[in-house]
Amino acid sequence: MENQPTNSGCGSGCGCHQEPVDRGGSTRRNLLKGAAVTLGAAAFAKALAPLATWSRDNLSVDDFLQQHYRELDKEQLAAVLKHLEEDTKKDYGADVTIGDHRPQKGVKFGYALNLSVCIGCRRCAEACHHENNHDRVTGNSYIRVLEMQKGSMDIEHGNAHYDHPVPHPDKFYMPVQCQQCENPPCVHVCPVEATWKEDDGIVVVDYNWCIGCRYCEAACPYHARRFNWTKPEIPKEEINPNQSYLSNRIRPQGVMEKCTFCLHRTREGKMPACLEACPTGARVFGNLLDPESEIRKVIDNKRVFVLKEELGTRPSFFYFFDE
Amino acid sequence: MNPSISTARKSEVNHHDAKFHATSYLKFLRLAFRLATEGTWTFYVWMLVLTCVFLVGAHAWATQVAEGMVVTGMTDHVSWGLYIANFTFLVGLAAGGVMMVIPAYIYHDKDMHDTVIIGELLAIASIVMCLMFVVADLGRPDRFWHMLPFIGKFNWPISMLTWDVIVLNGYLLLNLHICGYMLYKRFLGETPDKRWYVPFVFLSIAWAISIHTVTAFLYCGLGGRPFWNTALMAPRFLTSAFVAGPAFIIVVLQLIRRMTRMNIGPGSIQTLVAIMRITILIDLLMLGSEVFVALYTGGAHSTAIKYLFFGHGELKALVPWTWVSLAFMLTAAVLLMRPKVHDHLRTLDIACMLAFVGIWIEKGMGLIIPGFVPSTLHEWVEYIPSAAEWKIMAGIWAAGLMVYTLLLKVAIPVFAGNVSGKTSGIGNQTK
Amino acid sequence: MAAGTRLGKWMFFGVIGVIALWFVGALGMSWQQQYRDRVRPGRAFSEKVIGETLHPVMIRKPDAEPWVDSGKKDTKGQPIMVACATCHDTRTANLKTNDGALLKEFHQGLKYAHGSQTCLSCHNSGDYNNLKLADGQSLDFSESIRLCAQCHGPQYRDYQNGSHGGMNGHWDLKQGPRERNHCTDCHDPHHPAYPQVMPVFPPKPVIGEAVLPTHGKPSH
Repeated sequence: MENQPTNSGCGSGCGCHQEPVDRGGSTRRNLLKGAAVTLGAAAFAKALAPLATWSRDNLSVDDFLQQHYRELDKEQLAAVLKHLEEDTKKDYGADVTIGDHRPQKGVKFGYALNLSVCIGCRRCAEACHHENNHDRVTGNSYIRVLEMQKGSMDIEHGNAHYDHPVPHPDKFYMPVQCQQCENPPCVHVCPVEATWKEDDGIVVVDYNWCIGCRYCEAACPYHARRFNWTKPEIPKEEINPNQSYLSNRIRPQGVMEKCTFCLHRTREGKMPACLEACPTGARVFGNLLDPESEIRKVIDNKRVFVLKEELGTRPSFFYFFDE
Repeated sequence: MNPSISTARKSEVNHHDAKFHATSYLKFLRLAFRLATEGTWTFYVWMLVLTCVFLVGAHAWATQVAEGMVVTGMTDHVSWGLYIANFTFLVGLAAGGVMMVIPAYIYHDKDMHDTVIIGELLAIASIVMCLMFVVADLGRPDRFWHMLPFIGKFNWPISMLTWDVIVLNGYLLLNLHICGYMLYKRFLGETPDKRWYVPFVFLSIAWAISIHTVTAFLYCGLGGRPFWNTALMAPRFLTSAFVAGPAFIIVVLQLIRRMTRMNIGPGSIQTLVAIMRITILIDLLMLGSEVFVALYTGGAHSTAIKYLFFGHGELKALVPWTWVSLAFMLTAAVLLMRPKVHDHLRTLDIACMLAFVGIWIEKGMGLIIPGFVPSTLHEWVEYIPSAAEWKIMAGIWAAGLMVYTLLLKVAIPVFAGNVSGKTSGIGNQTK
Repeated sequence: MAAGTRLGKWMFFGVIGVIALWFVGALGMSWQQQYRDRVRPGRAFSEKVIGETLHPVMIRKPDAEPWVDSGKKDTKGQPIMVACATCHDTRTANLKTNDGALLKEFHQGLKYAHGSQTCLSCHNSGDYNNLKLADGQSLDFSESIRLCAQCHGPQYRDYQNGSHGGMNGHWDLKQGPRERNHCTDCHDPHHPAYPQVMPVFPPKPVIGEAVLPTHGKPSH
C-alpha cells in the first residue's frame, strides 16, 4: 500500500526511484502496491492541476529559456521586446512600445527633495502609479509619503495614512522612494543577479529573471521594493504605452519591482514623472557629474542629508530644508 | 580516495570489483524498496494520512503558483512569513542531528554510535523540508534554474542566500553519502571502511555548524532590520538548534524503542538530555540578553521586541505566540533540570515536546515576523498566515515525515542487522 | 592505536579543510567585487547621438496687463472685464490702502495677506498698467519676478538654481527644452502663502495594516 510514488526512494538516499518489480513477493501484494501507486500518482496529478493550467497559459518555452538581460545580444533582445509587446496586446489589449533604454555616458542621476516646500499632496505618488503601469487593485506606487512630526526626524513618528488638508502647520512631509544607493543591500543579497546597479546609478530589476524570493525586499532599508503578489490589473485605456524593458512595462506575476527614476523618461533627457507632477517644485533632479546641474547646486549650496546614513548605503537621493 | 592505494590493509578491507557492486547495490535497493513499502497496518494508515495531507498541501501550492502569492497573508510590509519561519527552524533541526554525531564519532559513545543514523536521517529529512519551504516561498518556482551555477547566474559569494544553497545542499549530500554508505556496508555484512566515512563525518560536523550559521547570517547581515541585526543571532540559532534537534530525537528514539526491535541503549537519551540541559539554559540566557539590551536601551531597536512581547496598541497577533513559546521553554527547562528526569520518561517526552514547540515558535514566527513589524518606514502591518500557507506548511511537514519514516523503515532493520545481504539470501560472495 | 591516530589526522585535515574553504570563499568575495567593477558584460551605453546645442528654458509669462471683473455680464453671458486705467487714470491714489475691503468699488473680494505691504508698494500709481519696483522704476506685469525678487531673495536664488518653483520637460537641455513656472503660477501675489489642499491618492491599506484614525485631524 504505497501511496506516495514520489517518495519511494531506496532509503539509502541515492535518489533512485525504484519501480515495484519485486518478483519474489506475492502477486497480490504487488497488485495492491501497483494500484496504490497508480491512485497516488493520479491524486498527485490532480492536486497539481492548477500548475499545469497556469504554465500552459502563461509560460511559453521561450519565456522559460530566456537568458539574463545582460546576456542577450541585439537580435535576441529585439525578439524578446517584440514578444513582450505581443503579450501585452494579448493579455491587456493595449498597443505598447517596449524600448531598451541604455544609460547615457557621463551621466549619474541624483535626486533631491526640499522638505520645506513639500506639502504632502501625494501627487507624486499618483503620477508614479499611472506612469509606471501599477496594479490598479492595490493602488501601488513606488513613493510613500510620510507625514512627520515637526521636531523629529525619526520616521517612527511618520504616518502614511493622513487624510486632512495639507500642509498641517504642526507637520512636515517626507516622500520616500528608492534611494538608488551607491552600496545597495538589495543588489548584494539577490541570489540570481536579477537586480543590479547600472552605470548611471539606477538600480534595476530584470523582471524576466527574478525568481521572487523577496530577499531584496527584506534587505532594503527604505521600503522601496514591491512584489507582484498577483498579475497586475490595469484597464486597457489607462496603460501608459511608452514602456521600457527595465522600467515601466507591466510586470509579470511573482517578481520584484522598484522605482527606476523613470528611466524610460530620464534616459531620454526628460524629467521623472514624480517631479513633473509636483505642484510646489520640491523635487530637483539631474546629473550629479555635471557641476552646473540643478542637483549639484542643491548639494553644493544646501545642507543636504540622506536617510539612514548610518547604514552605509550611500543614497543618491538627498533631502534638504530651506530654512 | 582510491582504496587501492592502501594495499597493506587489503586483508582487513573487503575489496570488490565494480561488477559486484552493480549487482549487490541493485539488490540493496530492492531490499530497501521492499522494507519501505511493507509494514503493519499502523504504518499504512500513517503513510496514508501523511499522503493525504501532502496532497492537500501540493494542491494549495499549485494554486499559489497559479494565482500568485496574493493567496498568502504576506504583504510588501511583511514579505516573509510562515514558509521562511519553518525553513529557519528546520535548518536548526537538521543541524541538531549533529549532537548525536559528535558523541558517537568523536567520543566513541557506544549507545550513541548504535543510534546515530537516526540523527543523520533526521538531517536528510529536515533538509528536504527546508528546500521544499524555499521553493514554496518563491514567487517564480519555474525560474529555479536561474539559481544553478554555470547555467543560471549564481550570485556567489556576495549573496548569503547562495551560501545557504551551497551549505544546505552540501549537508544533504554529505548525509546521504554517510547514511547510504553505512547502510550498504551493513547490508553487505562488512565493516565500513573508515576512509570512506570518517572524513565525511568530520566534515559534516563542521558543516552542521555552518548551515545554521549561514542561515543566521541571512538575517543578521541586513542592516535595515534592527531586530535581526544582532551578532548574537548565529549563536542563538545554534543553541536553539541543539535544543530542538535532541528534543525531537529523544522522542523518536522512544517511539522506535516501542515500535521496533531496534536496541536503543540508555546512553543515547542520557547524553542527549545532558546536552539539552545546557543548551536550553544558554538559549534562555541569550534570549534574556537580547530582551534586556532592547528594553533597557529603548529606542528604535526595541520596538520590535516590545511588539513581540506586548503588542503595539491594537496589534497583538504575535503576543500569544511569544508568551506560549516562553512558557513552554521555561517549563521544559525546569522539567529537564530535575535530577530524576530519566526515571520518568513520560515527563521527559513532555519536556522535549514543549521545548520543540517552543523553539519552533521562537525560531519561526518569533524571529521572522518581528523583523518586518514595524516596517523599515515604521509602518505597522501585522501578519497572519492564510489558510493556503497553513495547508502548504502541513503538506511539507507531511512530506518530510514521510521521507523520515521511509528512511527509518529501511535503516532500522538494516542497521540493527535484522536484514542483510545474508539473511535475505543475497549472500556475500567474497566470504 | 593506529585507528585513533588516523582519526585524529582526519579530524585535523577536516577542520583545516573547512577553514580553507571559507578563506577561499572570502578571497573570492573580494576578488569578484573588484572584477565586477571592472568588467560589466552586456552593459552597453546608449548609442543615441546627442548634440551640443542647448534647448531653451521657457518661463511661463503672466498676462502683460491685469483686468478686473466689473461684475456685469455681456450679451453672451461673459463677465465684462475692465482695464485698470479705466478708473485709476482719473482718481487720486491712496497710499495707505492695504485691503480690498477698504475700497468702495471693485476689488471687494480681494483677500490680502502679504505682510505690511500696501497696494502701492507694488502697483504703480503713476501707471496702473505697470508695476513699480522699490526704486520707483516702472515694471511690466510680465516681468513681475523681478518685483518679487526684491524681497524674496533666497527664493529667487533657489529659483535660479532650479530648486524652487518646479519645472517640466527635460533635465538635459541638450535633448529638449524645459518650461519653468512663474511666481504667480503658484502664489497669488495678494496672499502668497501656498494654500492648503486635500491630499490625493491615499495608500490603500493592506490586510493586517493598522490605519490610525486621522479623519479631519492630524495623527498623533
